[in-house]
Amino acid sequence: MEARTADTTELVDSTKKSNYHRNKVIKSIIFKIIMSLLILIVVFPFLWLLLSSFKYEKDIITYPPHIFSGKYTFQNYIKVWDTIPLLGYVKNTVIFAGATMLISLVLDSMTGYALARMEFKGKTAFYYFVMVSMMIPFMVYMIPLFIEMNKMNLLDTYTGLIVPRATTAFGIFMMRSNFVGLPRDLDEAARLDGLNEWRIFTKIMLPLSKPTLMALAVFTLTNNWNDLLYPLILTTTSSMRTLPAGLALFTGQHISFYGPVMAGAVISMLPLFIIYIFAQKYFVQGSAMSGMKE
Amino acid sequence: MEEIDTSVNKKRSFFRFWNQPKHAAYLFMAPSIIILLFFMVIPLIGTLGLSFFNINIFFTGTKFVGLDNFVQFFHDQRAINSMWHTVYFTLLETPTQVIVGTVAAAALSRTTLFNRFSRSVFYVPVICSLTTSGIIFSMLLDPNIGWIPYVLHQFGMSTPQFFRDATLAMPSIAVMTVWKNFGVTMTIMLTAIQAISPSLYESAEMDGANKKQQFFHVTIPQIIPSLGFCVMTNLIGSMQVFDQIYVTTAGGPEFKTESAVQYIYSRGFSAPYQLGYASAVATILFVIIAVLSVSSNLYMSHKEKQMR
Repeated sequence: MEARTADTTELVDSTKKSNYHRNKVIKSIIFKIIMSLLILIVVFPFLWLLLSSFKYEKDIITYPPHIFSGKYTFQNYIKVWDTIPLLGYVKNTVIFAGATMLISLVLDSMTGYALARMEFKGKTAFYYFVMVSMMIPFMVYMIPLFIEMNKMNLLDTYTGLIVPRATTAFGIFMMRSNFVGLPRDLDEAARLDGLNEWRIFTKIMLPLSKPTLMALAVFTLTNNWNDLLYPLILTTTSSMRTLPAGLALFTGQHISFYGPVMAGAVISMLPLFIIYIFAQKYFVQGSAMSGMKE
Repeated sequence: MEEIDTSVNKKRSFFRFWNQPKHAAYLFMAPSIIILLFFMVIPLIGTLGLSFFNINIFFTGTKFVGLDNFVQFFHDQRAINSMWHTVYFTLLETPTQVIVGTVAAAALSRTTLFNRFSRSVFYVPVICSLTTSGIIFSMLLDPNIGWIPYVLHQFGMSTPQFFRDATLAMPSIAVMTVWKNFGVTMTIMLTAIQAISPSLYESAEMDGANKKQQFFHVTIPQIIPSLGFCVMTNLIGSMQVFDQIYVTTAGGPEFKTESAVQYIYSRGFSAPYQLGYASAVATILFVIIAVLSVSSNLYMSHKEKQMR
């Protein structure tokens, strides 16, 4: 009698367990289906753009539209350079975003370093100045900035595009958090060894900050590469436009050919996409850092 | 000989002076601070100053008009509408993005191969510019060449006009913005969720809480500060919406999607180039954004104190 009860409880237990297990498997399958759908929603526009950019114009405007087409061609990628001054846009974007990134890495880390590891008069005031600067939207002061640049004859110049962006409050904040986290005795030991402040900064502190520098680099690069309003205001001639400003104005005018615009859109995002594939963790780190502002 | 000595000494003492951290700090900070002063603080003051003038882009007929520009704002229906459109966009975009981003983060918080892949994919639109996203969506949603209106038509709907439809345009822009930006919210929330100590879940499980209860009673309270941060930055960002509207609808149809920043831009940088009036509208928008960010900051820190 006793043995039988023990048997049944064991049986109930094991069916419970297998039920639980089956539920778990079903749940994980449902979860994966939902996530795959979401992935499809995120990826589909890109795939559609990529595929369409290789179609003949008549296949793009055909009705009903087809995702796939029988024939593919490179002609859009050849035609786009003639229909849009794309080469100029690419050049301007590389110079603007690239130079801004390099200069702001230097300036932001210098300021962040001073705020993190040096004691001086007015330190708190400077710190709050940077924190408040982070919250001031560009659109609020874009008109006087335009007038200022106009008066200095810096409209439509690389200098005019680069200098106002050569430092960012967020970059300073990010570098400061990084330097605060480095061990205290490092610079004290270096100072005892007779290294001057600049050498301590460049030879000891910066090499230890490579991950943060990388994150900040991709962060500023992406921001400036993708920015629209800022280059739109500080450039007036077509030959100085960056990719977003140029493409936006080009699509703003009536589109007569879709294919070249699609090819242009693919080309404009390709460089960042390639960098993203190789440096994904730094992109994510930059976003995550922006969440720690307090 | 002596002269050289003193000059060397002078050089040395000069160097020694600036090599002290309390002095060197100013040299380290100088470039950044000068740039911020020249290209942010001065223009910022300039905005307020300009808003008291009638001034155009050619600087002809500049005149002090006092508060006239602000008075004009309240009689300018298009300006007031642009503010409402901005608020409407914000109310559509911010909650959706925060919810989608947070749910995605919670669902993908465990680090498995599949989850890591999903996270990488969800971040891809973030690195794509709003301009490019706008170009993609205005073609994808185009009633003539787009695939989505066609598919919806096949399901028996009348072909939706999306960006060309006065009621659908703004929601379409908001959905596109969520698509582009929820990866940022996801990343921030993921960091917050992964920082929660596993022991909290263990004790909740011992108390018999199921997954859903765990999410609402353990996860949510723990990530409130990050959630608040995401809501705040999203609100402030949405109030400045420009790029995606400029590319997709350019404010149309019939100014129905014109945002505040876009109105400022078109007032200042296209005919009649009224920089003074545009500055007044910018000042008003700035006040709104400043009130929003200060009050939400205060509210969040109040909430955090309550929870401790």
